[in-house]
Amino acid sequence: MNDASRPRVVVTGLGTINAAAQNTDEFVGALSKGISGIGPVRLFDSSQYRSRIAAEVTRIPTLKSAFEDYSGKRMSRADRMAFAAALEALRDASLAPLPRELARDAGVFIGGGAGGLPEAEPFYRDYLRNGARHAAFSVLAPLYCASTADHIATKLGLFGPKLAFMTACSSGANAVASAANILRTGSARIMIAGGTEPLSRVTFATFNALKALDTRPCRPFDRNRGGLTLGEGAGILILEQLEHALGRGARIHAEFLGYGISCDGYHMTAPDPEGSGAAAAMSRALEDAWIRPDQVEYINAHGTGTQANDLMETRAVKRVFGKQAYDIPVSSTKGVTGHTLGAAGALEAVASVLCIAREIIPPTLNHEDPDPECDLDYVPEKARKGRPNVVLSNSFAFGGNNTSLLFGRYESHG
Amino acid sequence: MGETTRRRVVVTGLGIVSPLGINKELFFEDLCAGKSGIHEIRNLHVDGRSCRLAAELTDFNPADLLSSRNLRKMDRLSRAAVCAARLAMEDAGLRLHAGNRERAGMVLGTAFGNTALTAELAETLFREGPRYVNPFHVPNTVMNAPAGHSAIELGFRGVNLTVNHKEVSGEAALALAADAVERSEADIMFAGGADILGPFLLLSLNRFRALSPDDNGEEKARPFDVRRNGFIAGEGAGVLCLESLESASDRGRTPLAEIVGRGLGASPCSLTGQPSDPAGSTLTMERAVRFAGIDPSMVDYVSASANGGRHGDLTEAAALRFFFEGRSPLISSLKGALGESFSSGGLRAAALVQSLRTGRIPPCTGLSTPLNSLEYVLQPKHAPHLEYALLNGNASGGTHVSIVFRRWTEKSDRA
Repeated sequence: MNDASRPRVVVTGLGTINAAAQNTDEFVGALSKGISGIGPVRLFDSSQYRSRIAAEVTRIPTLKSAFEDYSGKRMSRADRMAFAAALEALRDASLAPLPRELARDAGVFIGGGAGGLPEAEPFYRDYLRNGARHAAFSVLAPLYCASTADHIATKLGLFGPKLAFMTACSSGANAVASAANILRTGSARIMIAGGTEPLSRVTFATFNALKALDTRPCRPFDRNRGGLTLGEGAGILILEQLEHALGRGARIHAEFLGYGISCDGYHMTAPDPEGSGAAAAMSRALEDAWIRPDQVEYINAHGTGTQANDLMETRAVKRVFGKQAYDIPVSSTKGVTGHTLGAAGALEAVASVLCIAREIIPPTLNHEDPDPECDLDYVPEKARKGRPNVVLSNSFAFGGNNTSLLFGRYESHG
Repeated sequence: MGETTRRRVVVTGLGIVSPLGINKELFFEDLCAGKSGIHEIRNLHVDGRSCRLAAELTDFNPADLLSSRNLRKMDRLSRAAVCAARLAMEDAGLRLHAGNRERAGMVLGTAFGNTALTAELAETLFREGPRYVNPFHVPNTVMNAPAGHSAIELGFRGVNLTVNHKEVSGEAALALAADAVERSEADIMFAGGADILGPFLLLSLNRFRALSPDDNGEEKARPFDVRRNGFIAGEGAGVLCLESLESASDRGRTPLAEIVGRGLGASPCSLTGQPSDPAGSTLTMERAVRFAGIDPSMVDYVSASANGGRHGDLTEAAALRFFFEGRSPLISSLKGALGESFSSGGLRAAALVQSLRTGRIPPCTGLSTPLNSLEYVLQPKHAPHLEYALLNGNASGGTHVSIVFRRWTEKSDRA
């Protein structure tokens, strides 16, 4: 398993758009100042719902500056957010425009969720009201998550591996982990990897029906936490084989050290309360990376703000880290971005790399009243200055899917 | 590059839930006999005369295979997928227990998930309002529900992924699962694909002009044929049990076949179209064959992705001609018999493994006048020396996956 001769994988570019930030610089500001993107729902009428708040993206930058012939036709909101983040990440990696000779060995893996569902909603309504004859089926072209990766690959002229992943709230993390594997096995040199999620009324209604939404902004690990706050956004990483990055003199933000994936096999929507699946994902990430538990200096928690997740995650962290669990800052950035579902794992991977590169320990917002059963250091309310060398990022999902990613400060001797 | 630690990945079980039934021997016999699973639509209510024909799942009873406790929590898609996984596990003679379940997992492909369920949920929401949305229906609307249900029903706790990339979802799942076994992330992986039809999906496919149209009795799946005019929609689930050779040997199982290479790739292409340039498909086959460490001339049989679509078949035919440079392997597509079931990679891989074991190649049903002069299999073919076979997957939007399988032999070709 621990193959020392496998190629090392590094992060050379970052891009994001979310409710709290239009780009990574703004994201650093939001994370270090604790600025939340959560506010009243504006995208649709939320008066019939238990909760009326969400973390919405207010503006998606036009891509016209990057592509003269860009029209945005047949692109969903999810596609446009991911595309904007991907372009930022490519610029950040000094890969914009992407050199022709790299297109053959560059690919794109994207995790998704609702995809083009928000665009399909008016279609569904029209279809129900007026029947199939009059409904405009063309809006359904980008309905499925695959369309994001398809758009990016086509526009950049990529010939490398291209896939979409959908494992609910861990989609983004799985896309990043799987892209890293592609680089480790030498099937590409560069991978554009991440996730994207739009705020969709249908998704909102499903979480509403499950009674999983807090009426106030989510308060992860707080005693009075009442559920999650939905968000939207995209996070994209440029992953690259180390040798390739060094060869072109790229700036390296951090190293992708490893990942772990597990499945609870317990229940479709509730996590195993003992956290054994979550703990397995974290342990497997450590094993894959050859990292000892005592080397981990910050954990970006899944921390949704639901009673079940936060208690389970706390237990799982203790299972893996033992007494050291109390010495590691563990925070959830979902108070800043909301829970961006299919994008969350990727967005939090971006945050985790920023913690290493920009030296921040982001806070858990709205964490006011400690829960006696959730007794770790959750970095309440205020960010800290810190210089974490190894960061673990957790994503746990419906279906019992658990994924943990591990990033570290890049050191040449490895 | 760590070649020494690459483990051999073998197939030890086949699980088939198809329009031609769930018995793997009969499924293959039917395919070889040129029997088709495409019939007049019986079970689906089809709106707006989208089409008359489909390859539906008809006579399979999930209650025979699944625990009643889990069965009632599953939608139709999950039932098909979990049954296929159960059948693969039984075929592999595998028992999961505390000692192996953590290193057993699944990668499942589904192109569309359960479209009917999402449409139903949207209908409730828009007709009646959010308060009427049934929370019981929610868990099955996520695309990873079938893989999650499989983990619960069969009891594996390892790697669990769901890929959603249209028509390559099944092939991609097989590639990623083989990779997990090879890198020793898991010892046992269930991998394949599952998709089901719904009225809304059929209607959409019709509106996007993907289906063979129902006029003048011309509605038919004709892969690689000059008269092809679109595909016939299908449904089905196919799951393979993949294992490391060590794991299979320890259990005293003789592998059914080996997965020796895989390639993933893309072609610039419009979102719902097919690339006209065969370069991406060719490059992907080249990657798979290079990964296997063999020469293209060693490939004896290609199970092609062609489904009767106007553009995709042409591009694949051009890619095959280009890649094999005048020495054509035997080529067949099963989509003339099984329809285009999107994440069809699992079902087609199961048939391909049967071909490697028996030396028999099913004919390309629906093909009478090939669009170019490659070795298309028009009649059931006996090819006793079959050793390497290529499974091709191509998706609209320009995505490609190719996988190289080898007939099981103890001796490895790898240096």
